[in-house]
Amino acid sequence: MNLNWNVIFRVTGALFIVIALTMLPSLAVAAFYNETNIIYAFVKTMIPSILIGGLLLFLTKPRTGRTKVRDGYLIVALCWIVSPCIAAVPFVIAGEIPNFIDAFFEMCSGFSTTGSSILTDIEAISKGLLFWRSFTHWIGGMGILIFAIALLPSLGINGQAIAKAEAPGPTLDKLTPKLSDTAKMLYLLYLSFTVIETVLLLLGGLSLFDALVHTFGTVGTGGFSSYNTSIAHFDSAYVDMVISVFMILSGINFNLYFIFFRHGFSDFIKDSELKLFLIIIGLSTVLIGFTLYGAGEYESMGISLRYALFQTATILSTSGYATANFDLWPTFCKMILLLLMLIGGCSSSTGGGIKVIRLLVLFKLVKRGLALKLHRKAIVNLRLGGKPLPVDTVSAISGFLFLYVMTIIAGTIVISLDGFNLLTSMSAVITCLGNVGPGFDVIGPVMNFSVFSDWSTLILALLMLTGRLELFTMFLLLTPRFWNPDK
Amino acid sequence: MSLNYHIVLKIFGLLCLVLGIAMLPSILMSYLHDSPSVLFGFIITSLPLLLLGILILLTTKNIPRAFRIRDGYFAVTFCWMISSLLGAFPYFFSGVFPNFVDALFESTAAFTTTGCSVTSGMPLPMGIVLWKATSSWLGGLSLLIFVVSILPALGINTLNIGTYGSTSPTLNQIKTKIADSSKYLYLIYISFTILEFILLSFSEMSSFEALINTLGSVSTNVITGDLTSIASYDSLYIESVITGFTFLASVNFMLYYYILHGKSNHIFRDIEFRVFTSMLLVSSLLISLSLYFSGTYPSMQEALRMGIFQTVSFSTTSGYTLTDYSLWPSFTLAILVTLMLIGGCYASTSGSFKVIRFIVIIRLILRGFRKRLHPRSVVAVRVGKTVLSAETVSLITAFAMLYALLFLMTCLVVSIDNLDMMTSITAAAGILSNTGLAFGDAGTVADFSIFSEPIRLFLAFMMVVGRLELFTVLILFLPSFWSGDR
Repeated sequence: MNLNWNVIFRVTGALFIVIALTMLPSLAVAAFYNETNIIYAFVKTMIPSILIGGLLLFLTKPRTGRTKVRDGYLIVALCWIVSPCIAAVPFVIAGEIPNFIDAFFEMCSGFSTTGSSILTDIEAISKGLLFWRSFTHWIGGMGILIFAIALLPSLGINGQAIAKAEAPGPTLDKLTPKLSDTAKMLYLLYLSFTVIETVLLLLGGLSLFDALVHTFGTVGTGGFSSYNTSIAHFDSAYVDMVISVFMILSGINFNLYFIFFRHGFSDFIKDSELKLFLIIIGLSTVLIGFTLYGAGEYESMGISLRYALFQTATILSTSGYATANFDLWPTFCKMILLLLMLIGGCSSSTGGGIKVIRLLVLFKLVKRGLALKLHRKAIVNLRLGGKPLPVDTVSAISGFLFLYVMTIIAGTIVISLDGFNLLTSMSAVITCLGNVGPGFDVIGPVMNFSVFSDWSTLILALLMLTGRLELFTMFLLLTPRFWNPDK
Repeated sequence: MSLNYHIVLKIFGLLCLVLGIAMLPSILMSYLHDSPSVLFGFIITSLPLLLLGILILLTTKNIPRAFRIRDGYFAVTFCWMISSLLGAFPYFFSGVFPNFVDALFESTAAFTTTGCSVTSGMPLPMGIVLWKATSSWLGGLSLLIFVVSILPALGINTLNIGTYGSTSPTLNQIKTKIADSSKYLYLIYISFTILEFILLSFSEMSSFEALINTLGSVSTNVITGDLTSIASYDSLYIESVITGFTFLASVNFMLYYYILHGKSNHIFRDIEFRVFTSMLLVSSLLISLSLYFSGTYPSMQEALRMGIFQTVSFSTTSGYTLTDYSLWPSFTLAILVTLMLIGGCYASTSGSFKVIRFIVIIRLILRGFRKRLHPRSVVAVRVGKTVLSAETVSLITAFAMLYALLFLMTCLVVSIDNLDMMTSITAAAGILSNTGLAFGDAGTVADFSIFSEPIRLFLAFMMVVGRLELFTVLILFLPSFWSGDR
């Protein structure tokens, strides 16, 4: 059984053209701000990519052969590796990030909606490229929604099983009869979030450019800002609140919004993943807020809670914006934030991390383990939202959790070769794998990733993509069995 | 059905008697060397314990009644908690630790073979040091009893899997001889102790120090107190002996049973042993190379010596410190923490997650890959030639998740004390894995007096939880444990 290279090349060719076309808005921004060398950088990237894409499309036959599970995995992984490669080119040509690996890191961070940056001075970057940098968040956020909700199930019958295993929760078939309809509604939802937030930010006194940049970062749960001090630059409770709310909204399972529109609020809030997500936000905000106030970090309870809520929302939704340098906060607050980094958003959202649904299953597995120890003959089924969880789903989830932990451990060991302290190395891996953005200590919220060596930068960039694609997609390509399935 | 309190009482009586007797050497030692207050502390604990023990054993009659799983869990947790509590009295009454929480922490650290202390560098009287070492030795022995005899007797899947290939008898098949095989294990434990004591006596150590270090290392613990630290002997011989015996003590003791029965080839077929030793070899080598190339030690010889000693110390969860490793390159630290979280082999005196579970986890991940390529395939999880039952797999899965959850929870609770992140995280790992080490901005920490009192109490509890394979203790918090067979 061979891979269907025809389809793989065809999709890659289409991707070249799509990425080139998505540079058009950024090109317009560069033109608007009269940044001629940036215009050239974009044009010099777009024309060759369109040519390569066109050539690939020309050389491959349209739609022959069946795509199998393996083709699907390879296509998805390739898409996510090729996109940042193309997107990084303008930065290198314009000379604003001269090192290609750094530019690749920046763009992986963009597409995977991580928000970690190697830039030491963001404000020195030209407007056109800043816009492009944030725009990749927006595309990436949409990409992951398509990946999780539309693409995985469309990989065929087997793919559906995988998609179910990867993202348990409300299944699609009940939402709309056809996948293309779901995708359409999804874009609409994503687009309306974008428009609403942009308008709200404009009302808060931001310029259109700033409003768009921060909206892209929020709805994609990315975290790229156009200022060195991130959201703290605006120092406005209103902006904080708007962004907090939209970060949380983007961290919720997008399928639930369909349920919201179809069946109303009570069905929406009944979802056990959403409930846990909101509980985590509430609890963390209160704990952090009280600790901050008790430690005397801020003068009033209100201000403490405002900063606590923003930081909780930004870390849990894996956005990574900052309004405060939480690296200076009491250890208890930092530890909560570290745990939130691991947890991440809900399934089928633009957030990353382990995902709340898996945490829920983890709790249930532990509880069942305890029960099994006591009543050895008991048969305890795991249930989620009233429905029993299939054994395959449970084993896929536990496999995911174990792989997640192993990846963090292995990644930490590799990154620690750079010689930064253990906390820095570990939080770098956790934040990249979870697509969060900031870490602790050397890579804290007011710092950046420029300190790492090229090797570590590359590994962290790949970790971002790995985390974004739910681990197995990327790691599968490394297994010999993937390339020799018949053995 | 209520608990079998009759048996619990009997166990309590036995426990009092054992602890009372175990204090006798310490009484002698403090009579010879220490101030009267220390002697008083021991006598006032030991005598009532002996009397109480004899009284209970004489008065409770042997009413045969079914001993159920529930009683087993309760009895085991009860034993460790009560031992730690009763064992804390000498520390307290002798006036060495005026604060009872500290005495309890010290005693728990000894019984769980964790090895950290809260002495703040204060030298301890010899009797107290001997008591610490004795309780640690007892702790190691009782863990063996717990894992080798009690768990199988309760019908709980033991993790002696993948050990003997498919043709050889497994533990279950020799269950009839279980009392026999357990006896061997204790004899092996005791002979290790004697052997190490003899070997250490040849060194620069005084016989007292040799005894204390022996009792500590065979139970994968480190005893601090009024002792010369290992580093100050600067003796390769002592380091090798201690490294060797902590290693031997953290290998599955069932293997020794097979050696004694002339089946030494089982050792090399044992997958857990193979993984454990290769892990140690690779880690020691990587750490030594890193130490050498980072210039921490000028000579490769020195780097190897430090690297191997510290690797074994962390991996066997004994927790010896030869040098201030917190200044080492973070690559080595990352490896050391990982080793600490994995721990030694099952059915040994070492703590933590255990190598065999780690192997199963890796197998589960690999199966995940296969499942994604062939979603309809049914693949059994194998360790060596043994196919694991779904029940075993799900119990190990649950254990791993509980371990992770408890670790994160401990991190969070410890961080309330506002020490730096790394110290908090490693302290949580050190306590839960019964290693008793931490490091961070404060340097190498083996003295947990940097933590506040409530946190010390919490950590003492987590030591017991970690020691008793998590579930044993936590099951007592399950409402259905107490509500019975509804």
